[in-house]
Amino acid sequence: MYSLADIIYRRMTETFGASDFLEPLFTIVSYLLPCIAILGIVSLISGALTLLERKISADIQNRIGPNRVGPFGIFQFIVDGVKLLLKEDIIPDAADKKLFRLAPYIVFSSTVLAVIVIPFGGPFIVADLNIGLLFIVVVSSLVVVGFMMSGWASNNKWALLGGIRSAAQIISYEIPVALSLLTVALITGTFSMQEIVKQQGLYPWQWFILHNPFTFIAFFIYFVSSLAEINRLPFDFPEAESELVSGYNTEYSGMRFGFFFVAEFANIFVSAALAAAVFLGGGNIGIDPYNSPLGYKLLMALVFFAKALSLCLVTIWVRWTLPRLRIDHMMSLCWKYFIPISVFCLVLTAAWLVAFKGNSVFWRIAG
Amino acid sequence: MKAAAQYFKNIWDAVSTTAAGMRITMKYWLFEPSITVEYPDRLGKGIKAEDLAADRYRGFLGLNLSKCIGCLQCMRVCPIECIKITTERLENVRFITRFDIDQSKCMYCGLCVEACPASALVFTKRFEGACYDINELCIRHIKEAVKAAAPKSKAEGQNSENRTGRINEY
Repeated sequence: MYSLADIIYRRMTETFGASDFLEPLFTIVSYLLPCIAILGIVSLISGALTLLERKISADIQNRIGPNRVGPFGIFQFIVDGVKLLLKEDIIPDAADKKLFRLAPYIVFSSTVLAVIVIPFGGPFIVADLNIGLLFIVVVSSLVVVGFMMSGWASNNKWALLGGIRSAAQIISYEIPVALSLLTVALITGTFSMQEIVKQQGLYPWQWFILHNPFTFIAFFIYFVSSLAEINRLPFDFPEAESELVSGYNTEYSGMRFGFFFVAEFANIFVSAALAAAVFLGGGNIGIDPYNSPLGYKLLMALVFFAKALSLCLVTIWVRWTLPRLRIDHMMSLCWKYFIPISVFCLVLTAAWLVAFKGNSVFWRIAG
Repeated sequence: MKAAAQYFKNIWDAVSTTAAGMRITMKYWLFEPSITVEYPDRLGKGIKAEDLAADRYRGFLGLNLSKCIGCLQCMRVCPIECIKITTERLENVRFITRFDIDQSKCMYCGLCVEACPASALVFTKRFEGACYDINELCIRHIKEAVKAAAPKSKAEGQNSENRTGRINEY
């Protein structure tokens, strides 16, 4: 299992020489450097996604969107970030101050933690855990803690309702997400993200979405329930503007609100990236990701980002198309439709693997 | 059995209606141009703010001095008295010495425009009245005394409905 951390660690031992004294330092640095890089990349991507969202929503509604800051307004998100930094940070008197301060960081860190095991194509993965897929599922549900915490600590009824709604929603939609990801884990026999990507290929018929009809259904179930997990429309109950002002982040301002905002958009990228890696072949272009020239490695990353970003576009497109569901419809959609169907997909995928000896529909082409 | 059929119909309905909506938004996303007018500073070449207003827009009042006969009907009909006109007679010739319209008071009711027998007083399309002093909005149409136009006979007046004369806007 190679990852960025492993590669940096090996580089450091080669240049500075292996020693027991420096070993802890090497380990810390080799994990810290990619983590910092990922933090920067995630913030950049979520910033770019805010711009993309505003541009696409403008296109859909026959507007122009931001176009004043830089060419085509591409620096708008930087200006927005600076504005948030300069804003006054208000903490309500009646709030539980410690929890109030802590909540945004929990939300943000749980998002960034999930990015750690996302394979960006080639060797670009911070840590290739052998429980990668489970890790993402577990860590992304940590968001609920942050949401509940912020809702409770704000001492505001809108915020509390938003927090409770997000808890109800995210916990219920965990199940179809995990079950539909498990169909792929059944095929691969591993949770390691690099291994999952490696078992797919360059061509669409080598991807797990087209492995059999049930993974095809599982992909769409994953995608829709991930929309619910990241609180996007049509499932944005925790921050439903017309009902709850702004939901759990009503009382937040300044950079604390910025953290929620960045985490929200980073979550879009995380869920899209997960779908791209697990179902759509990730950055696999049929070449060994570790022992190939740097150009090919960057090409793999490019392929991965193309897939992930196109899924992000679909997420945004859905947001500006569909109105918000009613909350009981949202629950019945999860419990009556997604969970039974995803269980059905899981069982039938297992049956398929037994019946066809693990081959996909296109096994003759895929060879 | 009926319930099971309903279940699958629900799924089909959800998929098909979502797809229909997504198709519509995609059409707007990719093919429909934006209709936004970037009003103050990016109107495009040769387009003035006045051009954005619709025909028969009730903007600032404009005066065509070559038609004005100084009959004072607009001043009399104005419900809030924002028009001030004085005329003077010198050797049997009538001069208009003052024609002030206080645009900050004007409520754009259009009574004066309807009352004007020579169609000298008209609405222009000018609507940008922002200024630093409210007195700037009291617009003096006459700087120095102007000879009033001769009133036309009724039949002649109906035929000469053209408004070719220059309209003194401010």
